[in-house]
Amino acid sequence: MNSRNHRWLVFGFLAPGILLTFVGIVLPLLYAVYLSLFRLESFVGVPEFVGLVNYYDALTDGRFWRATYNGFIYSLATIALQVVIGILFATILNESFKGKAFIRGLVVLPYILPTVVVTLIWGWLLDGNVGLITSILHSLGLPAIDWMSSPATAMMIIIFVSTWTWTPFVTVCFLAALQTVPEDLYAAARVDGTTAIQRFFYITIPVVKPVLVVIVLMRGIWTFNKFDVTWLMTKGGPVESTEHIPVLAYVKAFTLFDIGNGAAIATLGFIMLSVLVWLYFRLFPTED
Amino acid sequence: MQQPFGEEMQHPYAIPGDANAWPHTDAKDELARSQVRLMWRKARTYLLVIAIAIYSFLPIYWMFVSSIRPPQELFGQPSLVPKSFTLEYFNVLFELTNFPVNFMNSLIVTVLTTIITLFCAIPMAYVLTRFQIKGKSILTNIMLGAYMFPPMLLAIPLYAIFVKIHLDNTLLSLVLAHTTITLPLGVWLLGGFFKTLPFEIEQSAMIDGCTRFQAFRLVVLPLSLPGLVTVSIFSFLLSWTDYTYALMLIASDANKTIPIGLASMLGSYDIRWGEIMAGSTIITLPLLVIFVFLSRYFIKGLAAGAMKG
Repeated sequence: MNSRNHRWLVFGFLAPGILLTFVGIVLPLLYAVYLSLFRLESFVGVPEFVGLVNYYDALTDGRFWRATYNGFIYSLATIALQVVIGILFATILNESFKGKAFIRGLVVLPYILPTVVVTLIWGWLLDGNVGLITSILHSLGLPAIDWMSSPATAMMIIIFVSTWTWTPFVTVCFLAALQTVPEDLYAAARVDGTTAIQRFFYITIPVVKPVLVVIVLMRGIWTFNKFDVTWLMTKGGPVESTEHIPVLAYVKAFTLFDIGNGAAIATLGFIMLSVLVWLYFRLFPTED
Repeated sequence: MQQPFGEEMQHPYAIPGDANAWPHTDAKDELARSQVRLMWRKARTYLLVIAIAIYSFLPIYWMFVSSIRPPQELFGQPSLVPKSFTLEYFNVLFELTNFPVNFMNSLIVTVLTTIITLFCAIPMAYVLTRFQIKGKSILTNIMLGAYMFPPMLLAIPLYAIFVKIHLDNTLLSLVLAHTTITLPLGVWLLGGFFKTLPFEIEQSAMIDGCTRFQAFRLVVLPLSLPGLVTVSIFSFLLSWTDYTYALMLIASDANKTIPIGLASMLGSYDIRWGEIMAGSTIITLPLLVIFVFLSRYFIKGLAAGAMKG
């Protein structure tokens, strides 16, 4: 369609969206980089230009690297678990059984719950005095575990809760992908005397692989940036053992009021993520 | 007959009774054996499905029942089905806490976010899919990139800007922050939707005397209702459930939304789990209602990555 004849329509249609994009996304992004070059004691203070000092401070701070490491552990473990459990669930739910639509709906529920509710429910289930899981442990004659007070179990719980709430996304995507696998392919393979496991690896996986590549990418980006699960469950503790980049940036900017440093860490996190995404595209080229 | 383990029974070759397909086996014997195998496989499928259902739903069920159990039952030996029930926690929540204020704030923010998103995203997505314009790829790239931006990278400068223009700590600032997520999402989802509508429908409307704008308003918009529903659902959902932006942009109790209000109930020394679960139930209910009645749109949006989490 020739846009010259409809110049005013095009302009009028784009104006609100472009304005919002500029004010809400482009400007703040530039401002974040700008802020990262300044020292600010508070959000109302007078900024003092310091160049790359905030970046230097961040990169020489052991806490930043620990947060990076924690972020990787958290992201990798959560993604791996989601993908494995998601494929498993999708394969099972793809079998024929009664009440299929109902169960498929039920399985999506953890994903649509607000993060706050997810963390509150699990906080309640895992409560060290009166929680359901504590009661179950107790009735089995096992001692109560204070999950959130030891670094190893705290990280485990955050990974588990994240997996619980995000797996349905993977399950739904794989269920959709499984519908595209032609039934003839399985029938032919069956006639050839293959096992179910062989068919899974030689038919199902190749067919759903493009979906898998995209899912891992999307989940990777979101998990890497995810702030609220960790913040709500542990605030990065105990002793910073679950703190990752988004939590560290928040702590710096909003609780220590070292805004420049917080902006620098957020920027570094974004650069790191961009490099990873670029690498990922080099490794797994996608058509889209 | 070698029947491999763990597969669908839909194909004719796999039907156990169809012994004629395998002339070299003893039909009767084989029939009995494969029926046992079939039953075992069915049982196994149902067991696995039940396990999945429990894993997914038990925590949510526990939230519901915990919100209506009287305290002595809530903190005593747990039973799967409550023996008696109470609305005490809901009463406390509405009478004695800030919850009604939080609720209204959430409602205002959510409705405004959804309206602004639709207002900006519909025309933008339309132009981006129907016209060849300069700078189109820049815009699409920003929209795609917004999927990747860490919330922190936007929240820190946004708050600094809001402080500068004295808009900090207002519901409006939260609405603006939410639209930075929902606008790219809306443009993305609607763009995909407009692409599926053939251009001929506008052409024939214009041949019938419509202007371009009328063709859009009278023909394209009504046809894209499913797309609009999907975008509305997810704008609502993202705004309604947001914790991250609200935590950073809102400090005063008067402007807190439900997620922030609920989370702050954990901070107190004596954790009131009954009230917390009641609040969780209230915030979850609208989502469940949408999910049950509009699940078609919902699943479509989910698969397109609308939740960003």
